[in-house]
Formats: sequence, structure tokens, C-alpha cells
Amino acid sequence: MEKKSVMKKITGSREALLAIVLIVLFVIITAINPSFLTPKSLMDMLKNNAVTMVMSLGMLCVMLVGGIDISIMSTLALSGMSIGMLLKYEHISSTFLAFVIAIAIGIVCGAVVGLIISRADVPPIIATMGFMYIYRALGYQVSHGGEWASAAALGEFKNFATTKFLGLNCVIWVIIVCYVFFFWFMKWTRTGRMIYAVGSNPSAAEVSGINVKNIKLLVYTIMGLLAGLGGALQVSVYASAMPDMQYGGEMDVIAACVIGGVSMSGGRGTVVGALLGSLILATIAKALPLIPFFNQLWLNTIKGVIILVVVVMNVILQRIADKNALKGREM
Amino acid sequence: MSEYVLELKGITKIFPGVKALNNVQFQLKPGEVHALMGENGAGKSTFIKVITGVHKAEEGEMFLNGQKVDFKGPKDAQAAGIAAVYQHPTSYPHLTVAENIFMGHEIIKNRMIQWKAMNTEANKLLKQLDADFDATAEMGTLSVAQQQMVEIAKAMSTNARIIILDEPTAALTRSESEKLYTLVDKLKADGVSIIFISHRFEDMYRLASRVTVFRDSQYIGTYDVDGITNADLIKAMVGREIKDLFPKPEVKLGDEMLKVENLSRTGYFKDVSFSVRAGEILGLTGLVGAGRTETVEAVCGITQPDSGKVYLEGKEVHIKKPSDAMEKGIILLPEDRQKEGLIMSWGLGRNVTLPTISKYAKNGINDEKTERDLAKKLLEEVDTKAVDIFQPASSLSGGNQQKVVVAKALSQEMKVVIMDEPTKGVDVGAKAEIYAIMGDLAKKGYAIILISSEMPEILGMADRIVVMCNGRKTGELNRGDATQERILELAMEKGHTGGAE
Amino acid sequence: MAGKSGRSINNVPESPVKKMIFSWEGILVLLFIAVNIFCAMFSEYYNMSSLLRQMPVYLAEVFMMLPMAYILVLGEIDISVGAIVCLSATMSCIVCNTNAPFIVVVITALGVGTICGAVNGFILTKFQELPPMIVTLATQIIFRGISEIVLGSGGSISASNTDGFRAIGGKVGDVPYILFLVVILSVIFAVILGKSTFGRRVYAIGTNRLTAYYSGVHVQKIRFIIYTIMGTVSGLCALFLVSSSYGANTTTGNGFEMDAIAMAVFGGISSTGGKGNIAGGFISAFIIVCLRVGLGQRNVNAQVILLIIGILLIAAVALPNIIGNAKKALSMKKN
Repeated sequence: MEKKSVMKKITGSREALLAIVLIVLFVIITAINPSFLTPKSLMDMLKNNAVTMVMSLGMLCVMLVGGIDISIMSTLALSGMSIGMLLKYEHISSTFLAFVIAIAIGIVCGAVVGLIISRADVPPIIATMGFMYIYRALGYQVSHGGEWASAAALGEFKNFATTKFLGLNCVIWVIIVCYVFFFWFMKWTRTGRMIYAVGSNPSAAEVSGINVKNIKLLVYTIMGLLAGLGGALQVSVYASAMPDMQYGGEMDVIAACVIGGVSMSGGRGTVVGALLGSLILATIAKALPLIPFFNQLWLNTIKGVIILVVVVMNVILQRIADKNALKGREM
Repeated sequence: MSEYVLELKGITKIFPGVKALNNVQFQLKPGEVHALMGENGAGKSTFIKVITGVHKAEEGEMFLNGQKVDFKGPKDAQAAGIAAVYQHPTSYPHLTVAENIFMGHEIIKNRMIQWKAMNTEANKLLKQLDADFDATAEMGTLSVAQQQMVEIAKAMSTNARIIILDEPTAALTRSESEKLYTLVDKLKADGVSIIFISHRFEDMYRLASRVTVFRDSQYIGTYDVDGITNADLIKAMVGREIKDLFPKPEVKLGDEMLKVENLSRTGYFKDVSFSVRAGEILGLTGLVGAGRTETVEAVCGITQPDSGKVYLEGKEVHIKKPSDAMEKGIILLPEDRQKEGLIMSWGLGRNVTLPTISKYAKNGINDEKTERDLAKKLLEEVDTKAVDIFQPASSLSGGNQQKVVVAKALSQEMKVVIMDEPTKGVDVGAKAEIYAIMGDLAKKGYAIILISSEMPEILGMADRIVVMCNGRKTGELNRGDATQERILELAMEKGHTGGAE
Repeated sequence: MAGKSGRSINNVPESPVKKMIFSWEGILVLLFIAVNIFCAMFSEYYNMSSLLRQMPVYLAEVFMMLPMAYILVLGEIDISVGAIVCLSATMSCIVCNTNAPFIVVVITALGVGTICGAVNGFILTKFQELPPMIVTLATQIIFRGISEIVLGSGGSISASNTDGFRAIGGKVGDVPYILFLVVILSVIFAVILGKSTFGRRVYAIGTNRLTAYYSGVHVQKIRFIIYTIMGTVSGLCALFLVSSSYGANTTTGNGFEMDAIAMAVFGGISSTGGKGNIAGGFISAFIIVCLRVGLGQRNVNAQVILLIIGILLIAAVALPNIIGNAKKALSMKKN
């Protein structure tokens, strides 16, 4: 029984463990390079990782119901490119309107993915793989076959990422608002809990009257919405829009969730976990150039190894826990 | 006000081809614990599902507090204050206990889930049940016993006045069962009426004031627990004459083929030993969950035992995988035909030849002609009711599917054939045919292990009977000495055998 | 035996010709013809010789479809293969630039691929609980990450000694070697999957893993072999890719996993396991290759072709499900 409770502590307080890892990372990096722990450096880090951080929330929802979405960066490119071109050719000039349009495009893209997955029973990996092509190609079409919208063409819009509001960068406000909203939504609303219920036991959810198909549609639509928002943020932060932006970036988002303790098979994962997971990734990316021998080129390999280690560790811990549970059985 | 809180009259439920319930009746008094007993397949589970609105009976009436009711679905039954707690809890493993209790009727204020209120309420319920865990615990980390407690708390949170417990002690250890008893006493003291399904006499004597017995989908009788002896009750439960259903041939027994010595696997079974001779049918019986299937799975390499030895024809063998077992001549025909025995979407022929395809392949390429001929021969040998060898296994009835599973064993030279519940879900006619095949196999010199929960089958077919209870072998009987009562006693023996624990 | 009723069970199969006409492969053949007619009308340059000339670039991906079909039949997925192509292309270029004999370059390409595949197989069979998707996702990042490290800040390498690569890019008459190889490998993979004991077991695992295991199939061994071969074939693909571009960079093989899966799924191989055959995948691969050549000749943007592939992929899975659901709904109403 005692062993079991130790196991429970390790697996149960995943967030605490991640927070410790994050703090340790901070301490080490600051020891190597004190310039890391300055407000400006931290703000830059958050700003540069805003897209991944915001989209991790959507991926959390998708993975909670046991799904996956690898089309998100194509949705991001399509929505970001669309507003980039609209601004470039001066169809719109309002920053607010640009955000609304980007988000609307994202919602539509996500809803289409959700419909195909929930209504036509296409496995999520296959469906989103197809849409990854489709939305990326549509992004290229929007860009007239590869045009860029550079900083000069974006006008007022690019200032969003440099403007401060109450002493904090607007992009960081977006992150904060998103995380606060989702923290409330996932924990305190019935819909949020339904997402957990569907992921934890779909058949039980069906029996207790939850519309599983609509929940699935909802999570992919949320994912699309955040991808649209991500598109606007991306264009604003990097002050340019190009059709191939964030190619392969979905891996970062999935990695953030997996590191943050979101289970691939559904039901397990929290907003705090997603936050810590994406912060750890961002910190590693920021720190790598500062460490001798390693450099930026090692980033992806290290990311991959971390994902692998995390999932394998989960399996090993589960096996130990199961074994101990069996030992406890009297005969 | 009626004398009964719940009364059912003349209930008949028909499934395609079977009468699952035939004109049964049942009365539940307010605040009583009423045991419902009977063999596997007697119709208890179906009956429960009729009460909870999952199934709709073709005939019969149901009265709740004297009022006639007609449930359209489970929701109606819940609204009427009837809750069921199943043997395998149907919960959300990743969510907290409080959430599981309040799923579907969360405490909401201003569109916000009131966690504090829910946790407090849940803890109140848990305290009433004397639970040793908190409402914030994650459901998946609890033991089966604790999860059952949560289900009971859930039933209480909906103010259920009738709670049905479906074999709640089957997966519990002795001390966990004790706890459940106290809990049921508490509910009873609160005026809740309880229907208690169990195979265990211990449960019944400890809790129930009355007992209703079903047999072969029929109502046999309702008795006062104090007024009926153990023997009479067993007679009521099993009391059918064994007819000529079992064509057990006289076979001269050969040498010892398989011997299992002190086989153990932590958490599943411990120190199990038995042996079987050529031409012999060894019955392996016990209640569901006694560890019979787990034991033979370890013998066949499906799982690995922690300790113990297996001998084949006197020589120790080390079996790591099912394919090792088959190479050496031991095959297990698993209990779950659809999940483990057959590939349902495949044709019969391919199913039959799956274990042996490599034996007649030329340079790794299948010889489809030989394969088809072999499949035809074997399927005809077990007299499968099929048109051709290409029709999918799913198109056959349960009995014929079982024959295909047997044909799989015949496709190669085998010494020991282990059949796990071969007649489960099979109609009487096909049963007799499967027994005939079993007898023929014995005559041919196969050593056969028959795992079964059905008493008549074990008594009718087995030369020797090994009884297991709670992961241990509790006894071994010869054909001549075995009676239903004796087997039931051994199978229900609990705690006081050979100094367990 | 007992209970003999003398019932006879038919074991003569239906005529294969009848089966073929009404199958998905039959439809694919028609589609293949239609695509070729379309391409010929669309592009004035589209003919046999231009097709043969321009095909090799796209054919390298057809290799990948073959083992991917096995993985899909198992009911699994491997999305690391594009990264394996990248890593083996990179390594073979590096070895090539040391002036090693070409056979060493070939061994490097195949060897690196095989090792990568074996790593996938090892992790997936040791930790069976893990979904292949997440494992191959992680190894994808790792394999491509290693190429990035090896390639350094430039992010690309070109092969200086191109003789060997030029040789395997050669032709017999008008027909490039690679086409022969694609056909030969397809036949081998088709025969093994369709006719051999091994193939039968792959289907068994993909349809019902538990029954296969109880029936004595070496489930984990077969999975390991298939993932390893997937790696080897990715190495082969890399070799031919280098033979047409004489170099590698960090984006080499990007999206190959998608193409391979799309070809297989569009060819009727179920992504949930147990269904489909190489013939279907082969025809659908050539539909896509011809479409690419034809559209490419009129300078249609590569993105449009990807768009078409994406739609084909989703439609191939979604349409049967939608039709099936509609049928079910209709019959429910009737009752």
C-alpha cells in the first residue's frame, strides 16, 4: 500500500513535477547566462512562442477526446496569409477587423475538419493529414502562388506586437486572456467537463446523454479558432506573412502537450500542464544557444528525445503501478 | 399503499431465438435486502435490465409502490429512483470521485460548476458510506471495491430508493466484502430497498432476509433465508436432471500428457497443480473470477507465470508464446470466440488454417488449393452448418462458430486441447454436438481440459474435476465422487482453505 | 466423426475475373485511364516519352507506398519515414563525398534507413502500449533533427562524386531503371502480402490482433520486421532521390509520409487495418504520378497537386463511411 501511495504522488502531481523542472531549467540557465532572467528576455521569449502557447490549448482539447490535429499550421498559414494579403492590397486596414477575419477563417477550417472526423468517421490522423495539404495549398492560392506580405505592406497591423497595454505587450495579453479563459472553461463549465468525460469513457458518456459527435466537432472548431488567432499573432509578431510559415510547427504544439502530461489516448491533461509544457519547450529553445557544445541545430533532436522519454516513462510507471496493484490482491 | 415497493408480474423477455425470461415474478418489500440467485444464464442479468429500463419486456407488468410503470429507457428508471451498480463499474477513470458521482446532475450556479459544493456533498455521501478516500481522488486510482462505493454514492446522490447490486462481491477480497456488507446494512437502515445478486451463499446469509431463485429463465420460488437450508437452495438453483446430453465414451486412459506444478502468477492464481492423461477429460471449474482462464493462459504462453513448472509427457517445457505451445502440441480454444477465437470478418477456411498455414506453404507462399481442401475436410469433420468455406465467421450461430474454433485445433497434430467455456452462449442442440466432438477427441487419445462454469457439463463430461476458488485450487474430485453440491461447496469455499493469505 | 450429417461444404472459389471487375481496383483502373486522357488533353507535351522522362522524380515516393501499405494493413501508421529519407540521403551524400566506392554509399543509405526503421520497431514492440503515431512523431523529429545537426548551419549538402548516382539514374532505351525497380518491388511486395504466409499473418494482426496472437502468430516479431523494412525502403527512396538532385537538405523527404499514406489509402487500403492490397496502392500511385507529370508540364503549381492529393485522401475514406451511414439511416427509417 505504501508503494502505491508514492506512485500516486509521482503520477498524480505531474504539474508540480513540471514546475520543478521549469524552475531548475531557469536556475541553470541563469547561472550560465544571467541575461536570461531579465524581464525583457522573458517577455521576448513569451512573445516569440505565443503561437505555440496559444495553440497548445486547442491541441489539449483535441487530445483530451483522443484525437490529434496536424492540419493546424496550415490553417494558421491560410488565415495569416489571408489577412496579410487583405492588408497588403488595402482591402482592410483595421487591426481589429484583421483579427476577426483570421479567427473566422480558423473557425470555418476547424469546423470542416471536425465535421469530417465526427460525421464521416475518418480517423483524425488521416483527415487532418489531408487538410494539412488542402489548407496549405489554399494559403498558397491566396498568396497568388507565393507572394509575401512584408512589414511595409502590413501597415498598422504589425504594431500590435510592439504596442504595450498596462505595461505588458499586447501579444502577452492575448496569451494571458486565452489561458485564463481556458482555465475557467475546462475546469468550471459543464461543456469543459463533457470534453473530459468523452475522452475518459466515450461509451459511458454516450449512455449518460452527452452528444459525443458534437463534442468532437466542438474541439476541432476550438482548435481551428485558436489556429486562426495564431495566424494573426504570427503575422503580427514576425511582421510578415508568407504561405509556408510555421511549416512543421504542429510538432511543437503536440510536443508541448505531451510534455505537459496530456495523454494521447484521451481523458488526461490540464490547462496548467499545457502551459508548463509549452514554457519548458520555449525555455529549452531559448537556452540551447547559451550552452557550450549544443547549439540551435540540436533543438529538434532534443525535443524529439524529450517526447520519447516522456511517453516511455509514462508506460514504465504505469506498468510498475499495475504490478503493485496486483501484489496487493489477497488470495 | 401496496405491500411491495417494487413488484413484477409475468415478465417475459424474448431475444432472437431464446426466451431469456419466461413468465417470471418478483416482489421487493420496502427496506429489505432481497437476494436474487441462480446459475449463470438463469436470466438474472436480463431481469435486472428490465427493471432498470435497459430492456423492454415483451409481456408482463411492473408496479412501483403499487403504481403501474412503463419505463422507456434507463433515464425513466433513474427518475423513478431505481439505480443499479454493476460488477464492472462504468465510470470515468480520469475524473475525480466527486465528478463521477455528480456526472449529469452537476451542481451549477451562474453557469459555473460549484466544485466546493460538489466535493462537500460528495464527501458527505462518502462519509455516510464510511469510505477511506476523498472526493477529490481520481477514479482510476481506486480499487474496484472503492469504485463500487462511488457508484453506490452516485445512486444515493440521485436519491434512489431501490438499489440493485449486480454481483458486487465477485471482484472483491474477503475484507473488502466485509466492508460492503456494512455498507449495505447502512443503506437498509436508511430505508433503501436492495436487490442483491450473488453466487455466494455467504453474501446471502449475511445480508438478505429473502431470496428469489431463477433457473433456466424461469421463476422457481421465493424463500425466507432463515427457513431454507443450504442443500435445498442448491437444489432449487441447479435441480435439473442430467439427461443423455452427454455422450461420454468409455476411454482407456493413456499416459500422463500434461502436468502443471505449483503454477503461480501474482494477483491471478497461486500454487495451482493438476495433470491430465491421454484420453482423459479434466474438468476445471469454479466461479467466474476464480482464476481458471488465467491459469490455462499461463500454461499456453499467453501470459507468463511467475513461478511453477509445466511438464509435457514427463519432460519439463518452457512455453513463452502461444506458438511455442502449439509447436509442442498444446492448444487453447479461448472463451471469447469473437475477440480471441475467430477473425469474424474472415472466411471460415482462413480461420481454420490460420495456426497452420506455414506447415503446408511452399517457400513461404501459401498453397491455397491444399488449404481449401484441408479447411473443407476439417469443417465437415466437426459438422459445421455452413454453405461454403468462404462465408465470414460472423454469419454462423454461436454453436457453429465454436465448431470452427475446434476445427482450428484439429488442423494440426495436438496432444492437449484446452477448451475454455466451449458451450457459452450455445443452444442445447449444438451443445450436444460439441460434447460429441469432445468425446471423439478423447477417444482419439487427446488429453482434454474443459473449463466450464456449467455444473451439468462438468459432471457429464469430465473424468476428473479440479475446483478453483479465488486463485487457488480448492479440491479435486473423481467422476464417481462428484456431485453438484460438493462442487458448489468447493467453489464457494472462501478464506478458510489451506491457510491462504 | 460424431454427428456426421454428411453435409458437404463448398470450397470452390468464385471466378476471380468477376470479382475483379466490381472491385475498387477496377474503378481505379478506369480512373487511371481517365487521368491519362485528361492529362493528354490538358498538356500537349503529355505522351509516353515525356512521361517516362519526367516520371523518375516522382517514382521514388512510390517505393514508400509499398511497406506503408503493410503498416496500414496492420492498423498502424508511420509518420517518421520522410525524416528517415532525409537522414539517409544526408548520410549517403556525406559518405559519397569521402570518395568511397559507390557500393559503400548504397550500403550507407540502406543501412541508415534500416537502423532508423529498427529503432521505431524496437520501441513499438518493447512498449506495445504506445500508439505508433506518437512514437513515430517523436522519432520523426529526432531523425530530421540529426540531419539538421549533421548538415550544420548551411542546411544542405551536395554530392561531389555523382558518377554512381548518375549510373542508377540511367535508362534501358527510354525506360529508366527506377521504373523497373518499382515494378519488381511492387510485385514482390504484392506477392508477399497477398499470397504468402507472412502476408496472411499481417492481415490477421490487422483484423484481430488478439485472435492472431492466440492462434500462434508472432505479432511483435512481424511488427518489428515491417517497421524495419519500412526504414530500408526509405533508404532506397533516398538513394534515388539523391540520384536526381545530387544532394540533400533539411527539407528532403518533407511530406513523403503523407504521400505514401495517401497513395495507399486512395488505393483502398484501410487506415484502420486488415483491408486492401498492393495492386490498389500501385494503381493509385501511378494515377498520382501521371497527374503530377501532366499538371507539372503546364506549370501548374505543386501546391494544387497537393490540394488534389489531400482531397483524394479524405474522400477515399470519408465517402464510403458517409454512404454507409446514409444506408444505415435509411434502413432504420424503413423499420
